[in-house]
Amino acid sequence: MNQGNDQNPNQSPNKESNSFPLLPPLEDSLSHIETVLGKSTDLVIRRFAIYKTRCAVLYIDGLVDKNTIQNFIMEALMLEMPHKRVSVKELYHTIKQASLPIGELTEFTDYEALFKRLLSGETILLIDKEKKALAASTRGWRDRGVQESTSESVIRGPKEAFTETLRTNTALLRRKIKDPKLRIESKAIGEVTRTDVAVVYLQDVAEDNIVKEVHRRLDKIEIDGILESGYIEEYIQDAQYSPFPTVYYSEKPDAIAGGLLEGRVAIITDGTPDVLLVPALFVNFFQSSEDYYQRADISTFLRILRLVCFNIALFMPSLYIAFTTFHQEMIPAPLLISLAAQREGVPFPAFIEALLMELTFEILREAGVRLPKPVGSAVSIVGALVLGQSAVQAGLVSPAMVIVVALTAISSFVFPAYNIAIPIRMLRFLFMILAATFGLYGIILALIAMVLHLCSLKSFGVPYMSPFAPIQPKDQKDVLIRFPHWGLFSRPSSLTKKNEKRTNPSSKEN
Amino acid sequence: MKTYNFPFRKLLLILICLLLLTGCWNSRELDELGIVVTLGIDKTDEGDYILSVQVINPSEIATDAPTSRPPVSTYTTTGRTLMEAFRRLTAKNPRTTYLSQLRLVILGKTVAEEGVMPVLDLLYRDHEFRTSFYVTVAKNAPVESMLSIITPYEKIPANKIMSSIENVERHWAATKGVSIDKVIASIRNPGEDPVMSGILLLGEEDIGTNISNVENVDAPTKLEIDEIGVFKGDKLVGWLNELESQGLNYATGNVHSTVITHPCQDEGSLSVELLRTSGAMKGKIKNNQPVIDIKVEAEGNVGEVDCKVDLSKPEALEKVNKQAEKAIKESIEATLAKAQKEYGSDVFGFGGVIHRDQPKYWKKVEKEWSSYYQDVEVNIDATVKIRRKGNSTQPINKES
Repeated sequence: MNQGNDQNPNQSPNKESNSFPLLPPLEDSLSHIETVLGKSTDLVIRRFAIYKTRCAVLYIDGLVDKNTIQNFIMEALMLEMPHKRVSVKELYHTIKQASLPIGELTEFTDYEALFKRLLSGETILLIDKEKKALAASTRGWRDRGVQESTSESVIRGPKEAFTETLRTNTALLRRKIKDPKLRIESKAIGEVTRTDVAVVYLQDVAEDNIVKEVHRRLDKIEIDGILESGYIEEYIQDAQYSPFPTVYYSEKPDAIAGGLLEGRVAIITDGTPDVLLVPALFVNFFQSSEDYYQRADISTFLRILRLVCFNIALFMPSLYIAFTTFHQEMIPAPLLISLAAQREGVPFPAFIEALLMELTFEILREAGVRLPKPVGSAVSIVGALVLGQSAVQAGLVSPAMVIVVALTAISSFVFPAYNIAIPIRMLRFLFMILAATFGLYGIILALIAMVLHLCSLKSFGVPYMSPFAPIQPKDQKDVLIRFPHWGLFSRPSSLTKKNEKRTNPSSKEN
Repeated sequence: MKTYNFPFRKLLLILICLLLLTGCWNSRELDELGIVVTLGIDKTDEGDYILSVQVINPSEIATDAPTSRPPVSTYTTTGRTLMEAFRRLTAKNPRTTYLSQLRLVILGKTVAEEGVMPVLDLLYRDHEFRTSFYVTVAKNAPVESMLSIITPYEKIPANKIMSSIENVERHWAATKGVSIDKVIASIRNPGEDPVMSGILLLGEEDIGTNISNVENVDAPTKLEIDEIGVFKGDKLVGWLNELESQGLNYATGNVHSTVITHPCQDEGSLSVELLRTSGAMKGKIKNNQPVIDIKVEAEGNVGEVDCKVDLSKPEALEKVNKQAEKAIKESIEATLAKAQKEYGSDVFGFGGVIHRDQPKYWKKVEKEWSSYYQDVEVNIDATVKIRRKGNSTQPINKES
């Protein structure tokens, strides 16, 4: 329940007028604060006096844990303070050194720090005629709590997912990696939202220049607000106009911890459970954290299966178009006869037919995501029964085309990372257009272009297609084939050269 | 912007060239194609080509609810060249003829006897033809009639003939399926002459063209694979019978499996099933004359015993071996008598064997090989080993 944020007052992106010193008279200060906040109703100001010195406690209702304020601030200041005349300086020091039983207490002197702390859930103590003020960490707000991951489900392995609160998320990582070298470095991005962003890495594993590059790219961001890690992803990704993602994200702490152990750098954004992981290689999007929990043989099989599905999802409709309209001689005779029989009476060319069905599927898919759950089943009934079956019965599309589209659709759901399906969904149409105009020839041309493009990509200095291009024989142990854990002897050499050894292979039984 | 523009424009130009300067491409929807499975080619008395095509009707073949329409349709037309005939066909056939799925070519008797090379030119030259279809000869009926027969069981007659040829070749070894590239290669090769399967039409043609033909359990009109037609050069010169066809296949190593039946000592007969057979030919020179050694090795099982013979005795088995060897030898000799002595057609490819084994000698005789061929001495050596006798060593009707 009690959450908090890392704060670093020196790194504020806000360079506005609030950085002047606190005004000594308390009432002036308070009225200034009220003016700046526009008399917001959630601002609570409690005025009181310690002997005859006027003081005020300020906090934002809803962002603070009221019990803490009640028990450790109000009681301490109002009941337990000695009632004798002391100077303001002395009083301030007594409070700071002895009176407040609060873990995190910071001193500040200007309004910029005041607003920042106040608005992130700290409680501010102002003392009349004192230029310094105190902020006590009393953050505590309602949040979702650690729940099971909804977008990345697994059969074996931890089910917990990150939450919207940054501090919970860093704690989830700390619980997995209890090494003192785990570094969590924070900064605030967004001039209005001042979103806390944490860069997490293992200092003796991650390459320094990658960490430095992450910081450099994050510091470069100038934006009013960061509401989700997607904002950051679009600023720091390498290839801005490529459909292929060069930043990996996951909401599972075990997946991110696995990435940290391989020398990657995680970027946690406050307010979203999706944590970014860089550098991201093409193969990462085909690897699930579950691959490491299940036996090596089935993991290998599943990885190859996913790659096959990648090809099905990308090429199946275009290959169908190319074969049936250009290269009929390449289809075995019985299959050709069956396909030809199905196409009898279909009024559209194969390309239009495929385009119609693919678009229909994309519409259904989008509708399924947007619709509230109780209505969702209606969409699947309309989609599967009405559109699929009736379209065939009405002779608008051929049954073979429905099979092709269905297989394509199912294949595009196989990938553990949702964002690798996005280039597939878009490029599929490009391939279909080329297949309809130039046949296999067009597909091959586009494929060559796509592979060239993939090989030209880099993610934070690491070639996107490694360890295939450039080939790294040592790294093949964990790409298509997953070796048993005792065989994963070194960290991926394309990601890090530090602290290479991961395991002692002879420590296994026999 | 300027610096990027130039290489990009170059790249675009290359891409456009790549896309536009390609060879044969054309998009055709499946439902615009008339998929041809059989071609029939013959000649009229005036010397024009008669072209028959058998086009499948896909919705009749792959359907849940067949109607009474036939699964294939046949169109016939004539022309001075085959190309012309093909184009004239468009007047009759509503769809473009699509020839890549061609399974079978049936040549008429007239064309086969006058020479098949001019006919094969189009089939080999045109890009749309695959080279995997079988070339056969219509033995006893006009090609158009053969193409009009509706066959039972297999909806597409071409498939029926093709799989029959393959089955006969695999289990009976009495025919030889030859594809067009093999035919052309052996016509062009001076040391070999081509062969082709023959096709027989059994029964009345008028009944066979009607769908009611297949409504009978025993269809009155059928197509049957006959034995092998022998060519000299590109002209049909005669036919081998069943035994001689098998002999040809033994010698050329084309027997996968077959059955040898020979009479027993007293009465009844015994059948041996050959399972693994290999045939090899070697060329030698003796007294400046070419000699061919044919070596056939076979392994088999005793398949059926209709007589009183005790196979548990090694002598009896040895006798069966010898009998089978004799049968193989006899069939090869029969083939030699027909093809070598009577027709003078080098269906075995003896010339090729000499070319391979005695290249220097071949250089001398290559030009007049056909005159040497008929005098080639042939030695036949056959070995048969019976491996298994089946589940019983004694005939079931043996009186104990």
